[in-house]
Amino acid sequence: MSNRPGAAYLTGALARLRVRRGRGLLAALGIVAAAAMLGAAVTVGYGLATGFERTAERADLPDVIARFDEERPARVDERVRALPNLEAVSLRLEIRDVPIGAGSRYTGDGVAQVVREGRRGYAIVEGRDLRPRGDEVVVESGLAREWSLEVGDRLEVGGLDGGARVVGVAVSPDNVAYPLAAGPRFYLSNEGLLARYGDPSGAGFGEPPVNSLLLWTRDPDRLEETLTQARAVSYGITDLRFITRSGVQVLIDQAAGIVVALLVAFSLVALTSAVLMLAASARADVERRLSTIGVMRAVGFSRRGVAVRHAGEAALVALPAATLGLAIGWLIAAGPSADLLGAINQLGPGLALLPLLGACLAGIVAVVCAATAWPAWRAAGRAPAETLRGAELRGRGSGAGRFSLRLPAPRGAFGLGVRIVAARRVRLTATAAVLAVATAVVLLMLALAALLERLAEDPGTLGKRYELTADASSTSAREVRALPGVESVSPRYAVEATDSFRLGENLQVIAFPGDHTRFEAPPLAEGRRLRSSAEAEIGVGLAQALGLGVGATLATQLPSGEETRFRVVGLVRALEKDGRVAYTRPRRLLAADPSIEPELAVRLEAGADRAVVERGLAAAGALPQVTGGASTSNRSFLALLATLLRAVALVNGLVCLYALVQSLSLTAIERRGTVATLRACGAGRAHVVLVLAGAAAVVVALAAPFGWALERFALAPAVAGLAADYAELPLGAGGGELALVGLGVVLVAGAATALVARRAAREPIVRGLREG
Amino acid sequence: MSILSRVTVVSARGLVKTFGRGRAARRVLDGADLDVAAGEIVAVLGRSGSGKSTLLHLLGALDRPDGGTISVAGRRLERAGERALTDFRRRHVGFVFQFFHLVPELSGEENVLLPGRLLGGEAGAARRGRELVERLGLEEVAGALPHTLSGGEQQRFAIARALVNDPELVLADEPTGNLDAESGAVVLQLLREIAARDGRAVVLVTHDRDAAAIADRVLWMGGGRLDPERGSPPRALRVGAGAA
Repeated sequence: MSNRPGAAYLTGALARLRVRRGRGLLAALGIVAAAAMLGAAVTVGYGLATGFERTAERADLPDVIARFDEERPARVDERVRALPNLEAVSLRLEIRDVPIGAGSRYTGDGVAQVVREGRRGYAIVEGRDLRPRGDEVVVESGLAREWSLEVGDRLEVGGLDGGARVVGVAVSPDNVAYPLAAGPRFYLSNEGLLARYGDPSGAGFGEPPVNSLLLWTRDPDRLEETLTQARAVSYGITDLRFITRSGVQVLIDQAAGIVVALLVAFSLVALTSAVLMLAASARADVERRLSTIGVMRAVGFSRRGVAVRHAGEAALVALPAATLGLAIGWLIAAGPSADLLGAINQLGPGLALLPLLGACLAGIVAVVCAATAWPAWRAAGRAPAETLRGAELRGRGSGAGRFSLRLPAPRGAFGLGVRIVAARRVRLTATAAVLAVATAVVLLMLALAALLERLAEDPGTLGKRYELTADASSTSAREVRALPGVESVSPRYAVEATDSFRLGENLQVIAFPGDHTRFEAPPLAEGRRLRSSAEAEIGVGLAQALGLGVGATLATQLPSGEETRFRVVGLVRALEKDGRVAYTRPRRLLAADPSIEPELAVRLEAGADRAVVERGLAAAGALPQVTGGASTSNRSFLALLATLLRAVALVNGLVCLYALVQSLSLTAIERRGTVATLRACGAGRAHVVLVLAGAAAVVVALAAPFGWALERFALAPAVAGLAADYAELPLGAGGGELALVGLGVVLVAGAATALVARRAAREPIVRGLREG
Repeated sequence: MSILSRVTVVSARGLVKTFGRGRAARRVLDGADLDVAAGEIVAVLGRSGSGKSTLLHLLGALDRPDGGTISVAGRRLERAGERALTDFRRRHVGFVFQFFHLVPELSGEENVLLPGRLLGGEAGAARRGRELVERLGLEEVAGALPHTLSGGEQQRFAIARALVNDPELVLADEPTGNLDAESGAVVLQLLREIAARDGRAVVLVTHDRDAAAIADRVLWMGGGRLDPERGSPPRALRVGAGAA
């Protein structure tokens, strides 16, 4: 019978689905929920994981960007042309603090990039590129988005009479986007400006100078060789700083914090959870249909025929449901994901996501079919009579019996619900597992959101123990220490440097005179604390990037070009700058570059009013600044991320609801005879609610602690490790999150109980007795 | 005492029940009348699909009639609200089903005590339940789960469950339909006792003429109505007369 022609088979399968429309709908809802979760995770995860490379490719991002003091183009060009492994080079003049405005918007922090002929290093995403005219401008997408600029609008630019017309919108991933970046970038044509205004810098070189270059190599694997040579031929060019393409990525990752990596890690968790849920759902569906399988076998269906038939029917439900779910997940996540990518100047995956979503669709259908066919295959392998008996709980007496004998006699309808659901151990385990995983993921998302807020607001999260910083040029530490409310003050030196051997690797050298742990105390992972200015504690992130360990030598090149070396005595789990930091004492730094200026790190007394101290510092001319977390300047970005995380948590909450509704529905459907008998004995709707509440309570009681333990001992360490193994991320859910999730689970259980009870109590008793 | 002088527990007049709509509509009950007195067993015979079980469902407030009136133990059912019907089922009626409908996770005794424990029945329900278990000879298997019991034992537990809340009316739907002859006889004897000794009204729906033989009156369901079955003298009259 399983060999009927395809059309007849399809018609038959559709007819069977129509007959059990409710169950089909329930199964479809489960697939929709799981697919939505997967779709959201894939949209976010793929977009973020590939964002930089995708945008860099599209924008033709150079292998190296070099910045230096303004120079004559011919002089720079002459040096660069001599470099080995060179494919192309473009020169630029970057002018900062350019006043720009459009409509009612204005900023004095504009960054003009005056570009010359040659490769651009940015991608035009709207409009066209610059032509050699003086009245055109291409703006970065962050500026266009923030100021609602469109192609054809005018941008007022200080120094350009009548402003310039916006002809294009560009994206370049070498920096985060405005307003995440302090200054909005826009591009002007050097030839156009020259023709219209002459030397735009007024530096008097006779021709417009340049202060940066973009360099593309033939073989990126030989980049170190090119950089070493570049350093060698750069004599006379001052304040030379290199940043490589991978270095750019690190910087962008620093700007995006650890969150990008966390979201990618979450996608993996969501994927696992979705597969688990799909498998549990499909298995439950087959369990429901054991009697049908017995009948099919009894009337002559082959074992393979039964399995194929079930798989085919599952595919008929899974295909549209998974398509819908993936579309919903994409719709939920695409907006926040695109905003997130836009904020870090990266392009969305666009149509590139389609094959992946298609693969997800195929994967979901395959999982559902396999998960349906496998238990059907196993059930069909049993004797038909046994399978027929197995369709009824009383026929599987041993299982029910063992449970019933272990549990105390029920005291009321609630207790009966407990025993009914406990009798189905496999389903109870599967439902509790799905709910536990979903609960754990919700906890993780909320813990992540809380961590983001702490990273933004609480410097203590980063190991910083000072509340304020002050400008040290106009006041002394002694004067600041004398202010009421100040506990201690220390000069803090912070220098951006590069590794002497790998010029593309950036790091921040931080120096305090004396014990730095009084002011910044990232946890020590290995070795010991430093004792002299010749020693350094380095972040685990830096140690990983440079392959350094305790006892190794850290050689750094300062912006002045001077080199300083430190002996690494300890590794610290620093979160800031992706762990690419080195702590030392200032004597050796100052010996190499006496011009390095410190700021003052100010620790307040317990209970001191920060505002009062700030006013005191301001009165002393010390320009106080509140010590921020990792991303104090990125509040809108963090808010975006928190929204995304909470959206994911919401999706997972819906998954919890679905898992419970499905479990209770299955119980109510299977036990409709029992429910009808109870009602025949005088049970009202309230009793039915209590029976189902008892069933839900068992699932929740098992899932909640398991979910908590899963988050605390497995997910949080795993995600923290995946995201930032160089630091200690406090990702364990706190009391607030636990209370919120606990309340949520109870509400979800209540909602599921009410939904299912409503349906069960409305069924005619007679039908329940007849069909149950 | 003759049953004719006893209190009327069930009084149904002109019961109408239709299933389906339009051309598919089928009037299963079409003006059925029935009176049952306390202590009386009425057996209803009829072909499959004649409406016997439907009549039972209406009398037990498991379903509502489309027309006619039903009064059981002095309570009108046809217009009662859902809450009142739930309360009615809890206090005034007990069901015995062909397939027992015992809750498989509960022991036999727990099934008997179910209405009292679950539904907050009378305080004496637990004591009465244990008495019933003893009276029905089920003490030794009281703690066993239903799937370990014979069909006869399961049905006796089901009868005990039907009686635990001391209802005025017991409705038995093919109570011997799933039992062997010996077990069926025991169950029928129990039903006879319930009526004769406890004074409850019993309505027994069956295909089995032998089962119907225990009844005081035997009615035939046909064409949606109830008629006294011809050629089958009411046994209870004989028994009642003898008793009197």
